[in-house]
Amino acid sequence: MAPSGLRAVRLSASLLCVVSPAAAQLIPIKTIPIAQGDQFQVFPSNNLGLGGVSIALPDSLGDPFANPATTARLRASRFFTSPTVYSLSGSAGGGRSLPVAVLARRADWYAGFALVLQQVDPSRPPRQGNIIVDTPTPGGRVLPPGPGPIPGPDLRAHGNEYAFGMIGRSWPASTLSIGASALWTGLHALDGVDLLYSGSQRVVQTGHAIDVRMGALKEWAGERGVRSLEAIVVHNRFAATHNVVYVDQLWDPGLQQFIAQPRTDRNFDHTNTWGAQLDYQVPLPTPGWRVGWVATVNRATHPKLPNYDITNVAVIPWDPGRSYAYQLGVGVSKVLGPATFGADAIYEPIRSYTWADAVQPTATLGGDTIAVGGKTIENRFRFSNALFRIGVGREIHLEGSPHALAIQLGLMVRSINYQLQQTDNVELAQRALRTSWNEWTPTWGITVRFPDLELRYRGRVTEGAGRPGTQFVVGVRDLALASGTILAAPSGPLSLVNVNTATHQISLSLPLH
Amino acid sequence: MTIGVRPLCAAVLLFAAACDETPPTATFPESIDAALRRSIGPWGVVPIAPMPQQNPALIALGRALMFDKILSGNRDISCATCHEPALHATDGLALAIGTGGIGTGASRTLGPGRSFVPRNAPTLLNSGLGLQYMFWDGRLSRFGPPVPDLNVPLDQTTVLSAQAMLPVLNRREMRGEVGDTDVFGNPNELAQISDDQPAQIWQAIMQRLLAIPEYVSLFRAAYPDVPPLALSFNQAAKAIAVFQMAELTKTDSPFDRYLRHDDGALSLEEKRGGVLFFTTARCASCHAGPFLGGQSFSNSGAPQLGPGVGQAAPLDLGRGELPNNAFYKFAFRVPPLRNVELTAPYFHDGTLPTLESVVAHYNDVSTSLRAFDPATLPAAVQGSYHGDPGTIDAILGTLDLQLRTPLNLTETERRELVAFLKSLTDPAARDLSGIVPVAVPSGLPVF
Repeated sequence: MAPSGLRAVRLSASLLCVVSPAAAQLIPIKTIPIAQGDQFQVFPSNNLGLGGVSIALPDSLGDPFANPATTARLRASRFFTSPTVYSLSGSAGGGRSLPVAVLARRADWYAGFALVLQQVDPSRPPRQGNIIVDTPTPGGRVLPPGPGPIPGPDLRAHGNEYAFGMIGRSWPASTLSIGASALWTGLHALDGVDLLYSGSQRVVQTGHAIDVRMGALKEWAGERGVRSLEAIVVHNRFAATHNVVYVDQLWDPGLQQFIAQPRTDRNFDHTNTWGAQLDYQVPLPTPGWRVGWVATVNRATHPKLPNYDITNVAVIPWDPGRSYAYQLGVGVSKVLGPATFGADAIYEPIRSYTWADAVQPTATLGGDTIAVGGKTIENRFRFSNALFRIGVGREIHLEGSPHALAIQLGLMVRSINYQLQQTDNVELAQRALRTSWNEWTPTWGITVRFPDLELRYRGRVTEGAGRPGTQFVVGVRDLALASGTILAAPSGPLSLVNVNTATHQISLSLPLH
Repeated sequence: MTIGVRPLCAAVLLFAAACDETPPTATFPESIDAALRRSIGPWGVVPIAPMPQQNPALIALGRALMFDKILSGNRDISCATCHEPALHATDGLALAIGTGGIGTGASRTLGPGRSFVPRNAPTLLNSGLGLQYMFWDGRLSRFGPPVPDLNVPLDQTTVLSAQAMLPVLNRREMRGEVGDTDVFGNPNELAQISDDQPAQIWQAIMQRLLAIPEYVSLFRAAYPDVPPLALSFNQAAKAIAVFQMAELTKTDSPFDRYLRHDDGALSLEEKRGGVLFFTTARCASCHAGPFLGGQSFSNSGAPQLGPGVGQAAPLDLGRGELPNNAFYKFAFRVPPLRNVELTAPYFHDGTLPTLESVVAHYNDVSTSLRAFDPATLPAAVQGSYHGDPGTIDAILGTLDLQLRTPLNLTETERRELVAFLKSLTDPAARDLSGIVPVAVPSGLPVF
């Protein structure tokens, strides 16, 4: 069951650290159980239906996008496409992506590129956002708005673009492969952001993300099979600007009535992340079994975090900050004949420190003054997250047919636990919060193999998170109703409404002859 | 298989440790800004847009009229006498002193044979914002027809300009009594006119004004399309209103800046006071809307002081004195609160001298009224305090329901509340000396 009701903290970097379709090395940080659309699930993945297991079970489709060096495993050049759609229940958002990718190999060199076009729907359903209605007064007069046009809610879908390129080389003699990749993302819509500014009329997003990574793959052949070691270094830079349009209500002493007037707040959302990951897999003595370990470290700096404005939620003011996130994981897999089994268990300790800068000399309760640039609020988060993935698959050979069928079932559970210690240097107060929740993601998949192509369908549904919803409260709105022009901005307590995120991906893989 | 069991066990242990789920045990307290903005939300308190530019010629005419004692029957009092810029458009007195008074401001005293105006002179600051009611009893209103015996021309464009027509009719305030002579020893011709002939009084004032060439020029500049013979006191009143709108609108207080999303505009103490104001102290139940008041009437248990009004004299029933308003016995207009720090004393009869005393009064109205000490009043009005048990019981009998229960605010909370009230002050309202003319067309002294 998703947590609901008031949450004590607002969203942190939950939408930041995963701004990459190849997010395996980027550890998400999430402080409220807000549902994220599967916006970045754009590249094909073979293991998506297996709960996303990856530590001890290679993903023949997805690995090249996470570690370019693994493209060396590709036997021949291939063309991929993986149209993906996701939607949140309750008309809370959705989107669709169309990637096309080519991974090519020539002798010891390999390269690839991908282009993705994406469309993200607005997260606020019509009727739940802000509306402006001109209502005649009892005398039949429609009261005018204030100076300047009043923008209506933006209910259009917005597009994002992704461009991916990679190159690598393998040295068969030493069974070593090294590759590098770059992904540029032009962003105009991050799923859910438009919900995070309570009372806003619309949020115009512009930004980009750059993900540069370098990977190495070393394999050792042995009696029981192949051991492998993967090493990846990644640098991700994310910068977005949110132009948040509010419609303020004012009293116009000239007209002697309420008027509506647009106001635009500019909010910046910047995070830079350095990450490194090691993944080691070895075969076990028992035939078909492998075990793997993964260790990941992220260091994220947040030059500017957005000041989300969620009405009635205790906000954590912050400006800059930094985070250290780690992953320690172990996985097992068994691929024996037509059966596939995989399981991962990952522990994620994270430390995050953010603070709010004083923009002007600020008097404290103790009589001191915090100078400009001093810290008014300090937040120390200690996360203790866990991720568990498990999946099974089975190939079914159709007798007398050249086709083959494979099915997959899986489950991913993400457990998020954290403690927050907040020091308020103005009120000279210490506050603490401890919270946790689980997000469940059942997955499934089916593959049809033809002699010359593979057609895959993968699906998953994530439960356990919600989307912010607000309700109206009596007050300004009623006053506005009485005066004629309605600015009906949601202003009531925030609650998280349970939603499910469903994702469906069809991927097509064609060999290039 | 032994190789694989160890990491599996380790993983299970790690996962179990991480899944040691503790349901949220603490409600993280709201930040003070979140709490204040949430508490403001329901009360319709919104920023005030800038006052539109007014016609300079109208402002010039209005300025002259506001400060010119020629509008009074005895040529000894102007609008600005009771709404003095140095005192933030009030007079600093508990009860106003009209024509015949001696001196200015808080040191003004009654003239021989004169009596106090029954009520406190409210500030004119922000009177041009579009208030719905004028006067302490709200007898002039944007809504509905005026009270029958209120002589207001129907062609006035705003309630503010309509209001400006009335003090000149009032004998105690500006017109004088039959038989008065003006400051030059000449008969007061305005006072000779019957009370039920307001049009003649306004006409007589206009005769005075248009006999002065400078006023002719000012009116011509302000109303170029109105023939001189068609000029009336309506145009004078409108100019006074325009002057008030242009020069006495002061809405850039720290709280206003906070309303415009500047979280740093208020100190922590002011913010805490604001939360109290809009929640537990219940102030916003009356002081709501864009003006923080001015839209309703309340019997707030103010002590009764002064000569009284109407048939209830020496008591003042406030709005309850108006026809068909018996429900509002002892109820007075809830004043708008911007710049309230500057406009002491407080209540309709100025019985409380400081914001601290007002907050203490609201903390326990019944006790405050019963324990009211008239010695705290200026000596000149102490004798007109009506503190007999019958009067107090009558006041408390119709006390606003929400004031019947003590607030029980702590001393700190009361201090925070006062700090918030002081955050409603526009710094530009502190010094209004710039609006005072050096001289007025009549040549009479400005003060």
